Amino acid sequence: MSAVSPLRIDDLTVAYHRKPVLWDIDFSANPGSLTGILGPNGAGKSTLIKACLGLIPKASGRVLFFGQPYETVRERVGYVPQRETVDWDFPVDALDVVCMGLYGRIGWLRRVRRDHKLKAMEALEQVGMADFAHRQIRQLSGGQQQRVFLARALVQDADLYFMDEPFAGVDAATEHAIIEMLRSLRSQGRNILVVHHDLQTVPAYFDQVMLINTRVVAAGPTAEVFNNENLRKTYGGRLTLLDQATHALARRDQPGEPLEHI
Amino acid sequence: MLAEFIDLFDSHNTRVVLTGVTLLGVCSGVIGVFLLLRRRSLMADATSHATLPGIALAFLVQPAFGFAPRFLPGLLLGALIAGLLGMWTIQAIQKVGRIREDAAMGIVLSVFYGFGICLLGIIQTLEQGGASGLKGFIFGKTASMLASDAQLISVSALLVILMVFVFYKEWILLCFDDDFAGSQGWPVTFLDGLLMGAVVVVTVIGLQAVGLILMIALLVVPPAAARFWTDRMSRLLLLSGLFGGGGAFVGAMISASEADLPAGAVIVLSQGVFFVISMFFGRRRGLLGKVVRHQALGWTVRKQHVLRTFYEAFEDKGVTPNLERARLSFETLLKARSWTRFRLGIMLWHMKWSGWVYRHPDGTWGLTRDGWPRAARLVRNHRLWELFLIHYAEIAPAQVDRGADRIEHVLDPAVVDELERLLKETDRGVPMSPHPIPWGEGI
Amino acid sequence: MKKQTIQSIFSLCVLLLLSACGGGGDAVDPDDRPRILVTVGMLTDVVREIAGDAARVEGLMGEGVDPHSFHPAASDVRRIQGADMIFYVGHHLEGRLQGTFVSLAKRDRKVAAMGEKLDSEHLLLDEDGNIDPHLWMDVSLWIEISGHVRDQLTAWLPESAETFATNHDAWVAQLEALDREIQDIIATIPVESRILITAHDAFGYFGRRYEVEVMGIQGLSTESEAGLRHLNRLVDLIVAQNIPAVFVESSVADRNVRALVEGAASRGHAVVIGGELFSDAMGAPGTPEGTYPGMIRHNARTIANALGGEEL
Repeated sequence: MSAVSPLRIDDLTVAYHRKPVLWDIDFSANPGSLTGILGPNGAGKSTLIKACLGLIPKASGRVLFFGQPYETVRERVGYVPQRETVDWDFPVDALDVVCMGLYGRIGWLRRVRRDHKLKAMEALEQVGMADFAHRQIRQLSGGQQQRVFLARALVQDADLYFMDEPFAGVDAATEHAIIEMLRSLRSQGRNILVVHHDLQTVPAYFDQVMLINTRVVAAGPTAEVFNNENLRKTYGGRLTLLDQATHALARRDQPGEPLEHI
Repeated sequence: MLAEFIDLFDSHNTRVVLTGVTLLGVCSGVIGVFLLLRRRSLMADATSHATLPGIALAFLVQPAFGFAPRFLPGLLLGALIAGLLGMWTIQAIQKVGRIREDAAMGIVLSVFYGFGICLLGIIQTLEQGGASGLKGFIFGKTASMLASDAQLISVSALLVILMVFVFYKEWILLCFDDDFAGSQGWPVTFLDGLLMGAVVVVTVIGLQAVGLILMIALLVVPPAAARFWTDRMSRLLLLSGLFGGGGAFVGAMISASEADLPAGAVIVLSQGVFFVISMFFGRRRGLLGKVVRHQALGWTVRKQHVLRTFYEAFEDKGVTPNLERARLSFETLLKARSWTRFRLGIMLWHMKWSGWVYRHPDGTWGLTRDGWPRAARLVRNHRLWELFLIHYAEIAPAQVDRGADRIEHVLDPAVVDELERLLKETDRGVPMSPHPIPWGEGI
Repeated sequence: MKKQTIQSIFSLCVLLLLSACGGGGDAVDPDDRPRILVTVGMLTDVVREIAGDAARVEGLMGEGVDPHSFHPAASDVRRIQGADMIFYVGHHLEGRLQGTFVSLAKRDRKVAAMGEKLDSEHLLLDEDGNIDPHLWMDVSLWIEISGHVRDQLTAWLPESAETFATNHDAWVAQLEALDREIQDIIATIPVESRILITAHDAFGYFGRRYEVEVMGIQGLSTESEAGLRHLNRLVDLIVAQNIPAVFVESSVADRNVRALVEGAASRGHAVVIGGELFSDAMGAPGTPEGTYPGMIRHNARTIANALGGEEL
């Protein structure tokens, strides 16, 4: 991979109706990193991703992917939106959804062909969903739906992935499968940015973190940046509540090593 | 009756009307699917009402260009422009004025329509006459459809259906996940505009047939009805077109053969009948299907209970116990669960018919060679699930039928291995129940 | 029935509101003759001829306006409110306005429904028992109405009784000549061709008086919808009876008639649009068709011309 940063954000500001949602964001991802984007609700995590992808207008600032503007490297960037943003009642099956990841490559006016479907099927196998390829997506559990979304990103074969809360509302097995997949993607030299909620798993999952609350509180290697002081700055008074909540939900002896100590 | 129907086809006017409304029904049904999936159904209502001022203004302006005020293509062009303008206004005031979509649609619908009514009033007072033709756009004048109208409808309908073919996958992506579409570089605004433009075209050509008040029904009712029957997009489009065209055809037929009922209303009513039938009998999501599936599920669960009752009574007697002696009396079975004598009887006889259990001459019941492995598998799955739930209570996947879904299909193989390793306490292939079986000792 | 009540209440409310607003603002009007407002042009003509200079007579509905679906604009409401006397035809010809007029009459305003003064034996009913209000199509009935107009004017303005009597006699003489002329014109049409198909059922009295079989695509009111079945029957009739022409009306959209022509053409029968008839409204002011006699004469000539008679 090139030494150029896969994602470089300079001075990014986004505002809705004059109220800034993101303020002067500066960030640079290390090549081949798995980055967690952390922050309280309403901190602008999803907005950051959407602004990077040009889905919402920027008030100011510049975002470069591999040193180039998004429009020219679109095919190298994959996106997994939040699961709740789509209508799971939609009349498509899992395979159809995964095929959508190939639409960009298929292009205008062409149909989805057999080889596309085979490719999508491969991706479904990778996430352990091959048996469910022809299920209507409403009949899948939350974790299964998330895996389908992931498979859709996989077929894009991108070098940089944005994932908006892929771990929200999924079962442990799926969470485990997802993180294993992200690690294997990273080992192939790809870059992944993940909006994440569960602070307990952060050190185990991510080698880089970005703490944001409208502005960047801290960003850098997890070991240096992910500490109580920064968390307090990010979450403010809400951290104690969050602590209690995460402890109550604690399901492992040690974070990041699921299923080995049951 | 039949002869009367055949007679109807002899009439040029009937043929024109039937062709026109059927094609209109098909294309509005097809494009309506995307509208429904994009959750923009009400938008169509707003735009159809928004066409009225366009029609009225065209009526006023046309003489200046040397056309008759009632020159139809001009009126329809006016309707098209006003409809698009109305749609654009909805989006504009949402963005600029921070007004929610439903309110924006309400504003556009009422203001445009009100403006149109005002213009109709002005036209009436102008000393140039002939205003009454415009009323036909509000309620529709199906019976007097001319061949040229039907041709216009056919061309537009073909155009719209062609668009659906061409932009099939793009529109699906747009409706399902427009953020993802945008991230892939699809021109979301353009695709959206194209889709809504097609909707406005269909609305405008339908104005004369069913009128602007009822036009919404043609776009919404067929897709909603079709949704009860299928979960596949291609079939949904096909069915919706079929319901739309069929409803329109039947409606026009009724209006032509029976009393002088206004065809537009009868068309909408026939499509409504399709909807009601679909709601009850729809294969995928119909109410009847739901009830049947619910009953069937109850039946399956109770049969599983019978199998488990047998298995759990004899499981400590070996992998395959002496089936001859593994028998339970009816009374024992009755005590095992809270089922009625009648229901248990029916189930046992049904399972006997399936070859899972047999009835010994002494009146007791036992599992057959077919039934035993079935029961063993069932109990294994059930116990693995139970233990999984005990250990992972807060993260259990939703919507799982614990008896039928093989645990391997739902959980990661690693988890299943883990569970198996942890829970396999006997060598019988079925883990012991994690909770004591209360009546087990008493047999 | 209920709908009409609601409509009349609504109209009244609008009237009261407007009169409250515009109460004292009127400039002094130098012309102090009573103002008479008449709904349709055909009746306006009668009232104007008989009233002469004794009153100012204004028409409410203009050229080409369909009285069945007439919506009063705010200015119309003000005129209704400001008029000293109101003449209308009634029998639901004026659709929505009827209720308003009835309520005004109950409040002792000078409002008279001239069509409703006729004896019921003169009236035609449709299948559903509704009275056909298109009375002016029979000139002899209009002569009778003219007498009622004279009586009504005399009752309200007794000081001008003599003027009214003189004007009435001259007017009636004119109409009697017109009646004979129409009969002569229609007589030139071969008997078997005397079938008149029009956009709506406005020519019932014309047919009865001048012995023409009449049929409308729409019913008595233009607000009714033409059914496909009815349209098919008319096409059958046109083909079977070999009818050469059908007619559009100035105040009704021509789509239905064109559909009829198309339907007949598909069966190999060329029927033409015989011309535009004035049914519920007269022609433009200042033209011959802008008066009652001119309008009736135009209709008769157009019909005769298209159905194989002579214009005379």
